[in-house]
Amino acid sequence: MMNAQTSTPAIELQSSTSLASRISVKPIFQKLKPSLESAAYTLGGFGILLLGWYLISKVTADALPGPFATLAVFWELIKDPFYDYGPNDKGIALQLISSLGKVFLGFSLGSLVAIPFGILMGANSFCRKLLYPIVQILKPVSPLAWFPIGLAVFQSAGSATIFIIFITSLWSTLINTAFGVSTIPADHKNVAKAFGFSTWRYITKILIPYSLPHIITGLRLSISVAWLVIVAGEMLSGGMGIGFFVWDSWNALSLEKVICGILIIGLVGLLLDKIFTLLEKRFSYSN
Amino acid sequence: MYLEIKNLEISFPTPKGKYTAVRNIDLEIKKGEIVSIIGHSGCGKSTIMNAVGGMLTPTKGTVTINGQPVKGPGPDRGIVFQNYSLLPWLTVYENIFQAVDAAVKNKTRDEKKEITEKYIKMVGLSSHREKLPKQMSGGMKQRVAIARAFAINPDMLLLDEPFGALDALTKGDMHIELLKLWNLENRSKTIIMVTHDIEEAIFLSDRIVVMTDGPAATIREIEELHLPRPRNKKEIVSMPEYKIIRERLLSLLMDKVEIDQADFYQAAEVEVG
Repeated sequence: MMNAQTSTPAIELQSSTSLASRISVKPIFQKLKPSLESAAYTLGGFGILLLGWYLISKVTADALPGPFATLAVFWELIKDPFYDYGPNDKGIALQLISSLGKVFLGFSLGSLVAIPFGILMGANSFCRKLLYPIVQILKPVSPLAWFPIGLAVFQSAGSATIFIIFITSLWSTLINTAFGVSTIPADHKNVAKAFGFSTWRYITKILIPYSLPHIITGLRLSISVAWLVIVAGEMLSGGMGIGFFVWDSWNALSLEKVICGILIIGLVGLLLDKIFTLLEKRFSYSN
Repeated sequence: MYLEIKNLEISFPTPKGKYTAVRNIDLEIKKGEIVSIIGHSGCGKSTIMNAVGGMLTPTKGTVTINGQPVKGPGPDRGIVFQNYSLLPWLTVYENIFQAVDAAVKNKTRDEKKEITEKYIKMVGLSSHREKLPKQMSGGMKQRVAIARAFAINPDMLLLDEPFGALDALTKGDMHIELLKLWNLENRSKTIIMVTHDIEEAIFLSDRIVVMTDGPAATIREIEELHLPRPRNKKEIVSMPEYKIIRERLLSLLMDKVEIDQADFYQAAEVEVG
């Protein structure tokens, strides 16, 4: 009887402390749970990929280099990424910076053309009818087909590469911008009419804010394709860049370097997509 | 007469041919008058408003203000749209300021800022001035829309079912706020309001325009109200005039519903038999 009485408060104390600790830990855990979960899935997926890769390299008797050999080469590459031993032997970071530079230059120029024309197409049905067939014909053309024209015009492989990125960056931005502008609700237009907004005020306070999420979606799609195209473009143009690096590694018979190149291209592509997804979120609004 | 609508007809081209929304509209409104247009859905109430606002061009007939035909929207008319029509990416302050900045001429930027602040204060939203429309309730959004329309200092206010989406209590508050603003401006502003709420029309108006059903709707009857101002909701409901007008409006607007009911009972009888 006495035992039971003394033991009861002890149990209560125990349960209350565990309750307190649960309250303080639970919210943090719950916040982290989704990201922990997705991290686990990512790791699991890569585990399977690595295992498959390892098995294939074993089966083919190292015709395809295995993960460990590749990792060693990868380490060599990123140990000294900025070395520069002349035009045909540069560090991986320099190659990457060269590619990114070309992509951003071509992408910026393309966007500077695509956004105004997209606005024009969205706002004016005459321009839309006039330009849309052209866009429809040119959009499905692989940007690489423009490479000879770039060469002919600019007489330089580097400029021709920027030119094909420029062409690549046009279409998605153009189409999404035109879509955004053409779907401005009548309510917003009526506000502009009723309060006598000037064209400039209409563009800056209604047209751009409304279309911005669409424009950014277009930019995100454009830069994804531009990053796809730069690799192929640099294989054609040679000289410098991550695409050239992959092709050069193949010529040097280093599949390890090729795989490292693929990995780096993938990671940078993911990063570019994430940046634009963040921008999309930042500039989205809802009623 | 301040506003004159003469033999107004508005039609729209449709794939099936011409659709006439309203026809034979004749209406004269004095300066400082509050006039409600009431009728069933689709009776062209908003169409008349939009013609006065200059958002629609008459197919036939004329709309003149001070003898000048209406050629388009202008800052002499402030419009409160049915669904508030605030710009969702602008704050309360910016929504009003952009309208003031665009519509008000001959004022410096600082004066325009002052005007904006004044009207935000008038509708009691000073502490919400940095909020976006999505962060506010329907009543608050409606107050912003009304402040925006008043802030450009128009001679005429056009309110298109301004309180339709509000609950009864908020609606009552908004009626009083509207009349307060009207009083503050020495009752000099003409207000035309579209509504389908009989009590609202009686409480606010000097005259009530009752429409026939659309399409090709026209004015059925115009009721004059002589209820004393300032009005008090509790007091006016017990006045004999209020009851007479309310009955009259109800019978004008509800006869259609009764016919529908008769049809319903007949149909039921047939089924039973």
